[in-house]
Amino acid sequence: MKLFSLRLSVTLVACLFFLPSLLHADADLDAANRAYTEGRYDESTKLFQQLIAARGYSAPLCFNLGNAEEKTGHPGQAILNYERARYLAPGDRDIDHNLQLARKQAGLQPNSYRWWEIALRLFYPIAGWLVIAGLVTLLVTLIGNIFRTSLATALKLPPEVLRTAFRLVFFIGIPVFLLLGFVELSAVGFTSRVEGVVVASKAGTLRLSPFDAAEIVGTIPEGELVTVEQRHDDYFRIEGRDHRYGWIQEKELEPVIAGSFNAR
Amino acid sequence: MRRLFFPGTALLLIAATLSASAAPATLAQQINPPEVGVGEEVTVTISVQNGSVGGFSLPAVDGLQVAGNMTSTNLNIVNGAVSSSVAQIFTLIPARAGNFTIPGFDLHTADGQVLHVQPMKLHVLNGGPTPPATAPTVSIMPPPGAQRGPVVMPQPQTQPNPTVPSDTTQETPSAPGTNLTVPVDKDGHPLKVFMVITPQTTDAYVGETVPMRIEFFIRYDVLAGQDALPTIKGSDFLINSLSTRPFQDDVTLGSQTPYHRETWLTALSAPRSGDFPLEMERDTYWTKPSVNAGNDPFGNLFFNRPQLVHGTVSSNQLVFHSRSLPTEGRPANFSGAIGQLKVTGNASPLSVAVGEPVKLSFAVSGAGNFDYVKCPILATDPNWKVYVPTSKIEYDDENHTHGVKTFEQSVIPQKNGTLSLPAATFSYFDPTTKQYVTTPIPLPPITVTGTPVAATTPSSGGNDVTSSSATPAALPSTELAPNRMEIGSLYSSLTPLYRQAWFWIVQGGLATGLLAATVLFFVHSRSVPDTTRTDRALRERSLHQQEDAMSDAVRRGDAQSFFLAARNAVQLQLGAQWRLQPEAITLAEIRERDPHLAEIMEPLFTQAGEVIYSGLASDNLNLAEWEVHVRRDLLQPQPA
Repeated sequence: MKLFSLRLSVTLVACLFFLPSLLHADADLDAANRAYTEGRYDESTKLFQQLIAARGYSAPLCFNLGNAEEKTGHPGQAILNYERARYLAPGDRDIDHNLQLARKQAGLQPNSYRWWEIALRLFYPIAGWLVIAGLVTLLVTLIGNIFRTSLATALKLPPEVLRTAFRLVFFIGIPVFLLLGFVELSAVGFTSRVEGVVVASKAGTLRLSPFDAAEIVGTIPEGELVTVEQRHDDYFRIEGRDHRYGWIQEKELEPVIAGSFNAR
Repeated sequence: MRRLFFPGTALLLIAATLSASAAPATLAQQINPPEVGVGEEVTVTISVQNGSVGGFSLPAVDGLQVAGNMTSTNLNIVNGAVSSSVAQIFTLIPARAGNFTIPGFDLHTADGQVLHVQPMKLHVLNGGPTPPATAPTVSIMPPPGAQRGPVVMPQPQTQPNPTVPSDTTQETPSAPGTNLTVPVDKDGHPLKVFMVITPQTTDAYVGETVPMRIEFFIRYDVLAGQDALPTIKGSDFLINSLSTRPFQDDVTLGSQTPYHRETWLTALSAPRSGDFPLEMERDTYWTKPSVNAGNDPFGNLFFNRPQLVHGTVSSNQLVFHSRSLPTEGRPANFSGAIGQLKVTGNASPLSVAVGEPVKLSFAVSGAGNFDYVKCPILATDPNWKVYVPTSKIEYDDENHTHGVKTFEQSVIPQKNGTLSLPAATFSYFDPTTKQYVTTPIPLPPITVTGTPVAATTPSSGGNDVTSSSATPAALPSTELAPNRMEIGSLYSSLTPLYRQAWFWIVQGGLATGLLAATVLFFVHSRSVPDTTRTDRALRERSLHQQEDAMSDAVRRGDAQSFFLAARNAVQLQLGAQWRLQPEAITLAEIRERDPHLAEIMEPLFTQAGEVIYSGLASDNLNLAEWEVHVRRDLLQPQPA
């Protein structure tokens, strides 16, 4: 009884401690949304940015920020935030709708996910956790098998029953675990790709070499999603959706996954 | 290395010539480009393989001026097979437009073969580079540090300046006995290493791309190497990147001084107006023999090793006059493009529904500064929504002054009917005529079907990356989905699970644990006997023994032994099944656990008791039948 009272007290104190910040966050969200609906898009953009900086990323916050940026007339930033929202919620139709609309407004081709892409993107994180769960299960089973006799005595079960159960776990668990490992490898390959969105006003300048004086080989329109391959000082070698290669200045590109450019 | 073993090279050349002379001589000819503008250069190359021809000239053609010629010798040794070729390269400059034919002629090789040069045709168009208002100012100054290294450029007062050709002789390669005088050092010897830059002109407009030739000469007997590519001094010019593999050949200059030459064709432009010094430099190194100052008789033998010395070679210095573009008559959509440019446009498809995109393609080709060439501007037209274009450049030449820049741009019709596309124009400055040119681009009409959009916001005419408002308004039918009211699940980082260190640390730890547990399992399974398995094996062996004893007793007619073995066998069987000791299996125990089984077992247990304890056996006991009964009915596994 004493223990229950203690737990209840701790929970109440924790609720009281976090409640103001939770209420404050909701108030901030309401304020940002109110600014958006009243047409104060610049203010709304700033409020959503502050909210993300303070609380972290979420699909709705990135989505709302994308809406505000689109209304402000920053298609690159809008598409970037829609891409971030889509990364967090790959199957969300509203996010995809607004992303494709923003891309269309910017004169870009659609890039909606197919059903299997959505399924894979949803399953990849789960696969990682399943691999960990599988490893734990196999480890527990193996250790339990070693101490089967003692365990059977403790559980008042015939040792044969435990033996059969452990064998079943191994025979089913190992193939499933190998399959998950394969999925995990595929996920590792998939997530190693670093993507960025061109946020330079109107278009990013594509150069032949990573130097300011290097020849210009073309432009990539604002909002286009590109794959970053290599870094040299403040230039990134990128591959466009039309398989064009070139170097673009760091300031003209924003990573979909914040901080991922550091890996290049 | 080639210069290091010069005598060896000479021997090799002699051997190659002798070897190559065995193969029949062949001739190749080329005119490049076959179509040029007035005043532009044309190169005619005539090369003879495996043959030796003396110096020759092209037949004179009225209207074509021979600006220079050079000889290039190549020697190839592939898998021991030696081949040589001598190419005579002529540079021609057409003085007027029209079609020209350079007549064919015969060449006679040293061994008496006759090679026929076919006639070559050249089409010369109107328009070409503007002759400069003033001849380029040339001043060759000794580069800093010339006294320290082997490179000393000639003094402008003492040396005439044939090293740097005038505009009319630009692109003229140095050739033996032609117009190039070798600069000399302070001792009067031909300079070991020197560099000559030859821009097409030193008088150009701001932003105009000027082709330039860079030649780097190394005297044949000098052991010199290069650390880097030539670079331009100062920050007054922009220059195209140079190839790391320049054109290389050997030339004879002045009084038969052989040189190795590296040549780059590039282009430069001045970003602002004014007079600027134009000079290039290049890091190089060479070997310098050390001087034995003492009287050591062995000094030359042991210590006179060459030293590696680094230095910078500077080119001739020119003064470049960069003129501002005229403000009068400058079109509003002028983006800085300068040159002789042509523009074409196309649209596809020609029939679409309202809201479907039409792709416009523009190609700007010719000679000019393609960095400044922007997409043609579309006029404001409420019937069309205009999107941001994409661009791509493909150059035709090494110095990147000739090429094609293509643009692709999407436009979307807002109403149905046969619509004219927005009027497209392209503006540039032509330095030849010193005037701005605005070219309208004809585009085909587009047939648009479907229901027109109810309300549209007219798009702006500006559509290039330089324009101010290129993003059209949203269609009413395609509005943004509204904001979300909930904050959702929050993440401090977007980094995927697979890129987080802790994930791999946990997995690695678990995998290591699994591996360790596997090893432990195998070690444990080998060290601890499996009592269950041992017990089962013992029971089975005992059962078999009791069954054998039953059979033996039947053969001997020993009822006492038979019933004893039969009861033991049943006790073993049921004991294993119920995990009890065999001795604990009695009729009472069986009755308690399974009354139905007890009924089946009762005759055996009763008979066995009577026979075993009385020692008597009924005469009517048929042991063979009992054995069958026991084996078939009583020793089979009983249902649980």
